[in-house]
Amino acid sequence: MLDLKGISRSFGGVHAVSSLDLTVGEREIVGLIGPNGSGKSTTVNLITGVFPPSSGIVFFRGEDIGPLPTHRRLQAGIARTFQNIRLFGQLTVWQNLWVAQNSPEDRARRGFASRWLGGQAAARDEIEQLLAFSGLAHKREELAANLAFGEQRRLELARALAAKPRLLLLDEPAAGMNSEEIGQLRERILKLREHGMTILLIEHVMELVMGVADRIAVLNFGQKIAEGPPAEIQASPLVRSAYLGGEA
Amino acid sequence: MDFYFGLVQLVGVHTLLGLSAYIVLLTGQVTLAQAGFFAIGAYVAGMLTVLAGWHLVPALGVSALAGAITACAVGFPALRVKGLMLVIATLAFGEGVRLFFFNFDYQIAKGEIKLGPVGGEGFRQIRFFPENGWSTFEVMLFIWAFVVAIMALLWWFDRSRYGAVLRAVGEDEAAAQSVGINLTAVKVSAMTVGGAIAGIGGGLYAHYTTHIEHSSFNVLVATFAIAYPIVGGLSSVFGTLLAVVFVQALLVEGLRDLGDWRNLLFGALIVLAMNLRPRGFLDPQALGSLKRLFGGDRSA
Amino acid sequence: MLDLLQAVMDGVLFGATYALIGIGFTLVFGVMHKINMAYAAASIGGAYGGLLILKVMAAPAWVVFLCAFAAGGVLGYAVYVTCFHFIPLSSPLATLMSTVGMLLLIDEIIVHVTAGMPQNYPALFDDVMWRAGEFSLRGDLLLVFGVSVLCMIGLLALLYRTKLGLATRAVSQQAVAAQLCGIRVGRVNAMTFVIAGLLGGIAGALIGASVGMLSPLLTTPLTVKGLIVTVIGGLGSIPGAIIAGLLVGGFENVLQLYRGVAERDLYVMLLLFVFLVFRPGGLFTPRGARD
Repeated sequence: MLDLKGISRSFGGVHAVSSLDLTVGEREIVGLIGPNGSGKSTTVNLITGVFPPSSGIVFFRGEDIGPLPTHRRLQAGIARTFQNIRLFGQLTVWQNLWVAQNSPEDRARRGFASRWLGGQAAARDEIEQLLAFSGLAHKREELAANLAFGEQRRLELARALAAKPRLLLLDEPAAGMNSEEIGQLRERILKLREHGMTILLIEHVMELVMGVADRIAVLNFGQKIAEGPPAEIQASPLVRSAYLGGEA
Repeated sequence: MDFYFGLVQLVGVHTLLGLSAYIVLLTGQVTLAQAGFFAIGAYVAGMLTVLAGWHLVPALGVSALAGAITACAVGFPALRVKGLMLVIATLAFGEGVRLFFFNFDYQIAKGEIKLGPVGGEGFRQIRFFPENGWSTFEVMLFIWAFVVAIMALLWWFDRSRYGAVLRAVGEDEAAAQSVGINLTAVKVSAMTVGGAIAGIGGGLYAHYTTHIEHSSFNVLVATFAIAYPIVGGLSSVFGTLLAVVFVQALLVEGLRDLGDWRNLLFGALIVLAMNLRPRGFLDPQALGSLKRLFGGDRSA
Repeated sequence: MLDLLQAVMDGVLFGATYALIGIGFTLVFGVMHKINMAYAAASIGGAYGGLLILKVMAAPAWVVFLCAFAAGGVLGYAVYVTCFHFIPLSSPLATLMSTVGMLLLIDEIIVHVTAGMPQNYPALFDDVMWRAGEFSLRGDLLLVFGVSVLCMIGLLALLYRTKLGLATRAVSQQAVAAQLCGIRVGRVNAMTFVIAGLLGGIAGALIGASVGMLSPLLTTPLTVKGLIVTVIGGLGSIPGAIIAGLLVGGFENVLQLYRGVAERDLYVMLLLFVFLVFRPGGLFTPRGARD
């Protein structure tokens, strides 16, 4: 589904990402971990088109999506959540999901006038589904800025799903969560995969990554230093030294 | 009584000016260009009715189109300029339009007199209303027909997905892009709609005052345009209307005796309003309370 | 050719006042990331304030200038309190609008106090004319330039040699962190406005001196030009504002020579648009801010 070939990105003299090769197959859950500054967020930004790579190609479903601007990548099927939540605070929960319904299926199914000028009724069913999945149905009229932190995280995820993506990039979704919330998040991610979603999970919280990923890639200083199933990664001295420094 | 009709006409035209800025402000673009589109609408409509003998309604249609096209042309380069730079760039654009009309002469002889805009002197004798026997009352209704129609249109936008998308762009452009919103299309379309509204407003303005000149479209007017929606609150079109009524009715009517002090009080009023109610008269809380008061409805 | 060079020279000398106004706008922007739309009006207001001393006693021109300097500072503080101190940072539109309100207010107060009549402004060296070959250098313009340069030097010394300057620069880069280091952000912001106001007062006085009179009609063109200078120079960059001010001054005067006063301002707008298209960041984009 997603194929990064030789991706590099530099900012001035800083090589944020160097020659990264990464593949995510359909319905896989791949984890991307690494110490701070290892290039995880840059990788996400490169995939979503926030800036172009200095070299290398991003393939999505076999096509080079390099020429596509960010909003077109969403329409192509790549959605993301943000590390620091970026909801539309002054819009309601319902509206946050509503504005995100930009998938090609929606556009094909309903006419221009209906999609843009229609009232809330037309989109009701699908949004209600998303609200139910996220446990936010009772808060549909609440302004996003007024939600509790956990609810905001769920809304962020729901909003990414509103565009019916094929690939979901989760950027540190567990940050600030307690064990119970992490457990719920894990369930939600697994359920999404059951429904056919492909997921790339960028995360620091090992509890989540180890428990949910099929495969984990480890970055350090912009380069991939290890890749394999969770058990292997956990045991790897190379990975340990990357996180803790010094000899393994 | 005519005086009051005239006041209501003024409120109507200023409301259109305010509404033209309202839709653009929703997307987070602070524009001081609306007076420029207003001016273009005014001169275009005036020239069509006076020099080409058109009826006012099609002339206003062309005004709207002229405003829209100019705004669209401004909208694209505006995308490259962020935040406060946009304020300055649109300010310069508005001033540029004003200076253009300051230097603009186009006269046609009709019978013994020459009609048409004359540079600094302006454009006199825009007499469509008097020549066709419209009473002040009828002119007022005509203007307000447009105001009501445009307010209804914008209110409908606010309740539709387009309105929510406009506001999403205004909130966080990066997040909007990442959920698939095409920023260019949204921002330019808002600017274009605003330009069309300003064009109509300008056309109506030219005809009810019968005389326009470059100084009628100066920086002060440009700031009035954004002052109304900001002071009124961006949560609802009614905020803009409220602000216009408050400012014009209060300043003109309530303080008639104070005459020249009006602009001074307008300035002081803005400063006070922004300190006391930074989100405008009808800010989200006020709007929420009003909705609950009147029974409330499900949509935001 | 000679006329052209003369025009450029005169324009550049006068452009020093635009540079001061541009610095004022850019200072506030750099520290608070907001535009103070009332700045040029406050500067002209400061210049008028300088005239107040003449009501009390017959004073030489430099005393008037000094009073304008002080009045500018006072007005600067007033604008800070009414527009920036109370309004929450999360409402940038409110702040912008508030400064617009102050612009109107100051303008109207001037109109009322002076009954709309332009006021004569004292000048220094207006009868002095140095000749260098075919060129003449107006003494008063040289003074304008000289005083402006002194102010700029003073400002740069303040920013880079004093603790207040250091605090100001810290706040402009990271306001929250500065606060956590014990810097009183509110006080720094207020002082920024006062300093910008002092500069503005002097700029207003110098404009009045070289034109010979003050009128409230100066406010709008000065606001527009000041903002154009700020943008061309790069928002937040003081050297940028200086160079852009001189550039705009020279450019404007040259165009006045060839196209007359009426069209002159139109071309200044065009200059701005050229910059916006080809160099939207301005001449000097201040370092920092990875978006």
